[in-house]
Amino acid sequence: MGKGGKSHGGAGEGKDGQEENMAAWLLGINNLKIQPFKLPPLGPHDVRVRMKAVGICGSDVHYLKKMRCADFVVKEPMVIGHECAGVIEDVGSEVKSLVPGDRVALEPGISCWRCNLCKEGRYNLCPEMKFFATPPVHGSLANQVVHPADLCFKLPDNVSLEEGAMCEPLSVGVHACRRADIGPETNVLVMGAGPIGLVSMLAARAFGAPRIVIVDVDDQRLSVAKELGANETVKVSTNIQDVAEEVAQIQKAMGGGVDVSFDCAGFNKTMSTALSATRPGGKVCLVGMGHSEMTIPLTPAAAREVDVVGIFRYKNTWPLCIEFLRSGKIDVKPLITHRFGFSQREVEEAFETSARGGNAIKVMFNL
Amino acid sequence: MEGKDGKEENMAAWLLGIENLKIQPIVLPPLGPHDVKVGIKALGICGSDVHHFKTMRCANFIVKKPMVLGHECAGVIEEVGSEVKSLKVGDRVALEAGISCRQCNLCKEGRYNLCPQMKFFGSPPTNGALANKVVHPAYLCFKLPENVSLEEGAMCEPLSVGVHACRRANVSPDTNILIIGAGPIGLITLLAARAFGAPRIVIVDVDDCRLSIAKSLGADKTVIASTNIEDIGIEVEQVQQAMGTGIDVSFDCVGLNKTMSTALNATRSGGKVCLIGLAQTQTTVPLTPAAAREVDVIGIFRYRNTWPLCIEMLRTGKIDLKPLITHRFGFSQKELEEAFETSAHGGNCIKVMFNL
Repeated sequence: MGKGGKSHGGAGEGKDGQEENMAAWLLGINNLKIQPFKLPPLGPHDVRVRMKAVGICGSDVHYLKKMRCADFVVKEPMVIGHECAGVIEDVGSEVKSLVPGDRVALEPGISCWRCNLCKEGRYNLCPEMKFFATPPVHGSLANQVVHPADLCFKLPDNVSLEEGAMCEPLSVGVHACRRADIGPETNVLVMGAGPIGLVSMLAARAFGAPRIVIVDVDDQRLSVAKELGANETVKVSTNIQDVAEEVAQIQKAMGGGVDVSFDCAGFNKTMSTALSATRPGGKVCLVGMGHSEMTIPLTPAAAREVDVVGIFRYKNTWPLCIEFLRSGKIDVKPLITHRFGFSQREVEEAFETSARGGNAIKVMFNL
Repeated sequence: MEGKDGKEENMAAWLLGIENLKIQPIVLPPLGPHDVKVGIKALGICGSDVHHFKTMRCANFIVKKPMVLGHECAGVIEEVGSEVKSLKVGDRVALEAGISCRQCNLCKEGRYNLCPQMKFFGSPPTNGALANKVVHPAYLCFKLPENVSLEEGAMCEPLSVGVHACRRANVSPDTNILIIGAGPIGLITLLAARAFGAPRIVIVDVDDCRLSIAKSLGADKTVIASTNIEDIGIEVEQVQQAMGTGIDVSFDCVGLNKTMSTALNATRSGGKVCLIGLAQTQTTVPLTPAAAREVDVIGIFRYRNTWPLCIEMLRTGKIDLKPLITHRFGFSQKELEEAFETSAHGGNCIKVMFNL
């Protein structure tokens, strides 16, 4: 059970007893409605947060379009959204680290803290994970949510609430850079210049990567990538026959060996390209999740000791993300291309805009 | 051709074409200052040797001209180059098969097994070691202790694959292991993993006979599998049940879609799949669900810096490879052909060894 109540029933009680807490509920395919969302009681280690900025993720759009994402199936109405930041309204009795008025970015997933994976620190893999907007747990596109204080990270004065919300997608890039050991010697190939490809590129640069080549099928996204600091861009096709030629182009664009490839798309073609383009002893990080079964030249890659590193969400990334944003080492503001308010019409329009892709990179709600 | 006594001709097993092996002379190169001349005494047949024998190729390596086969070997030093201090005539040594360039970035980083200029016994166009004598760099010849036989010395080569895999996969007393395939490589991986401390090892094969060998070599549990890709779901459950707890590392010692898929699905979140067997080129596997559980895929290509450890484990008895040597042949034309056919046949044959 997630932190949140049913879609119907009485008004939720805000601190002032008057305000009804509203949220964006996913009721069915292409069916989003702003409706009341009853908050659970505030536990001793919880805080109540007024949401100010919520970004739309590809997975949110996927749920809207299909009512499922991989093995997660939406079986009953669920509040959508998980990339968020807001202002503390109230704190539980044991909370010492935060006070009302604090501006915080939220890490969406509550793990169990008891299983072996959690105890080892790999809590992102916890089988009991309760994650905003992964069914059956309600998301955070709402006026207010209740959340554990230890998953709310205070924002410095010079980091906006929108940037706070961007910590979530940025965390995926940061986690990938850690797992792939990106450093000043790592020449990086990024497959896909969508939001995840772009945050991976920004994170890789922040981790010291000296040379980054990014590929996409879309010229416009490539020019955004170039503005954001890619050393070279390569336009690619969707035709699997072109893999060999594109591998050659990529290696030429890199100049030296490709040490790490981030596949931020996750298709047979992108994965095949990444496996073939990466130098012996290098790594391919599978960040994007396209198809389940993949047909790829895995054996030849394994025979060159090109390892495949899996990425699932992130762990322990908020402090580093916030520091990158505070120092200006990473600037995520250019990724926020569209903004909407929190009304029925705007919620629908926002999701359509995000689903459209193209020049829409990150769609942000301002509440 | 002049051997040390001026009379003896150095003979080797030449691959002349598909299934066409002939014992013929081979001229040794001159002995460089850092080289040694080794009289080969024991040489094992590898699956890749058989593959070259049957198809004149192995993955991207194509046999374009006659080539001597064989790379799993040990022998006795007959002569040493002028600068060689560590070895002397009469020393019993195991040979590491590959000469890397020692100048490229990969070599300098220590990942010399990936050197693009690697010259490896029996990988075209480099002649192999199934011969009376070879010339080899002294730094790739490792002295055998008294209690380690020349045959065990030759077994260091396949054992090295298992040792390298255990290192790359970080096998330790915490690592519960699944091994897919109970052929020579699967069995060696079983022995290496146990030597690295693995507490629980489940091994899978389609062949009952190989599974019972695995059991006798110390596998905790064996599971019989089919070649039918529909059976993956059931088999994943069976191996997980046999393990009793999460599978931390899976070694795929076969490398087919079915075995890779089973490994990816059976391994716990955050675990590793090590691809040792390299059967297919284009693979169709459920990679995404595995990656979404951070199951990493680690590639294995031969080995690096493994001989000292292998020899030490043989010396102390921590690993006993002798049971793997199931068939022995001498170095004659007839026995040569029979040895390769025996090895190709598989079944109850694990390692075929030549005694020269």
